[in-house]
Amino acid sequence: MNLGHGGNGQSIVLTGEMYKEISEILSELASKTRARTIIFSDMNGHAITQRGVTGEIDISAMSALAAGGFSATAEIAKIIGEKKQFKYIFHEGENSNVYFSNVGDNFLLVLIFSSETALGMIRIYTKRAIDALTELLSSANEEEKKASQFVNFDFNKYLNEELDKAFNF
Amino acid sequence: MFINWAQQEITLKIVYYGPGLSGKTTNLRYIYSHIDASKRGELITLNTKEDRTLFFDFLQLEVGKILGKKPRFNLYTVPGQVYYAHSRRIILSGVDGIVFVADSQRERMEDNLNTLLDLEQNLITMGRTLQDMPLVLQFNKSDLPNSANFELLQQRLNFYRVPHFNSVATTGIGVFETLKMIINQVVNHIQSHA
Ligand SMILES: Nc1nc2c(ncn2[C@@H]2O[C@H](COP(=O)(O)OP(=O)(O)OP(=O)(O)O)[C@@H](O)[C@H]2O)c(=O)[nH]1
Ligand SMILES: [Mg+2]
Repeated sequence: MNLGHGGNGQSIVLTGEMYKEISEILSELASKTRARTIIFSDMNGHAITQRGVTGEIDISAMSALAAGGFSATAEIAKIIGEKKQFKYIFHEGENSNVYFSNVGDNFLLVLIFSSETALGMIRIYTKRAIDALTELLSSANEEEKKASQFVNFDFNKYLNEELDKAFNF
Repeated sequence: MFINWAQQEITLKIVYYGPGLSGKTTNLRYIYSHIDASKRGELITLNTKEDRTLFFDFLQLEVGKILGKKPRFNLYTVPGQVYYAHSRRIILSGVDGIVFVADSQRERMEDNLNTLLDLEQNLITMGRTLQDMPLVLQFNKSDLPNSANFELLQQRLNFYRVPHFNSVATTGIGVFETLKMIINQVVNHIQSHA
C-alpha cells in the first residue's frame, strides 16, 4: 500500500489481495445493514468499489462530491478548533438517508439507505467495518508494485491512439 | 492517482487552475459536449447564482481499454475567485497534473501571476512543488482584441518552460490539445519515477 502523506495522499496503489479483502468487508456490511448502496472511495474522490444497487447512481460523481463535502466539513472542524475531523456526516432525505464516514485519513465510506432504517444500527455496523478496514489498510506492507509498472512504454503509445479517437483528432 | 491492480484500473486527477473568469469551466463544458457520451460521465458543476464556480466542476473521462487496462481521468476545476482559497486547496489534494488556464487579456497579467503564486504556495503546503508537477499552460481568450501577445505571455508566465497553447475555450480552439498534452505529461511523469 502506497499511501502518500495524510489527507494529501498523493497516490494509492491497491493490490489484488487487498482489494479482495476490502470487498469482503463491504459485502458483510451490506448484508448486515441492508443499505441500498455502499461506496468506498479515497479522499481524493476516486471511487474504489461499491455494493448494492448502483444502476442509477453515477458512482464517480458521487465519490467526487462525497470527498469534496467531507474535506469541506473537515475545514469547518479546523475552524471551530476541533483537533480531528468530524466522525461522520449524515444527510436525511424524505426517502433516503446518506451516511458518510472517513476510514483513516485517506478513505471514505458512503452508505445510502432507506429513511426507515434505524440510524443506530447503521452506526454500529459501519463502525465495525471501519475498524476492520482501518486495520487492513494499515497492515499493508511497503514493498508494493510501483505505479510505473502499471503504465509501461506500450501503454503510452496505445493511450495516445485512444485519446485521438476520443478527441476526434 | 489511484491504481487498482485487481481491476486493472488507473484513475488520474487533473485540475484546471487559474484566475477567476479565465475559462476553466468553459474548458470542461466544451470537453463534455464534444466527447462521445460513452466516454464520459455527467458534468457536475457547483456554481454560484452568477454562474461562477463555488466549489468545483467535475467530469470523468474513460477511454477504451489499453492492453487490458482501464484508464480514467478525473477532471476538476477550482474556483478562481480570490475569496475561495480554502476550496482550491481541497481540490488540489492528490492532484496528478495541472492545466493552468491564464486569461490572455493584458489587464489580467497581474491576476495570472498572483494565481500562479497561489498555486505554488498551495503545492508547497502539500509537500510538493510546481516545478516537479506535470503542468500545461493555456493562454485562453486569445480571440479578444486586448489579449497580450504570445511572447509576452510566455516570458511573464512560463518560467518553467512547460508545454503551452493559445486557446479560445468557447469555440474549442486548443481545448483538446491541452487535455491530450497534460495526460501525456502525467503518464510520462509516472514512467520516469520508476
Ligand atoms: N471571448 C472569450 N470568452 C471566453 C473564453 N473562454 C471563456 N470565456 C467566457 O468567459 C467567462 C468566464 O468563463 P468561465 O469558464 O466561467 O471562467 P472560470 O475560469 O471557470 O471562472 P471561475 O469559476 O470564477 O473561476 C464566460 O462568460 C465564458 O463564456 C474565450 O476563449 N474567449
Ligand atoms: Mg469556473
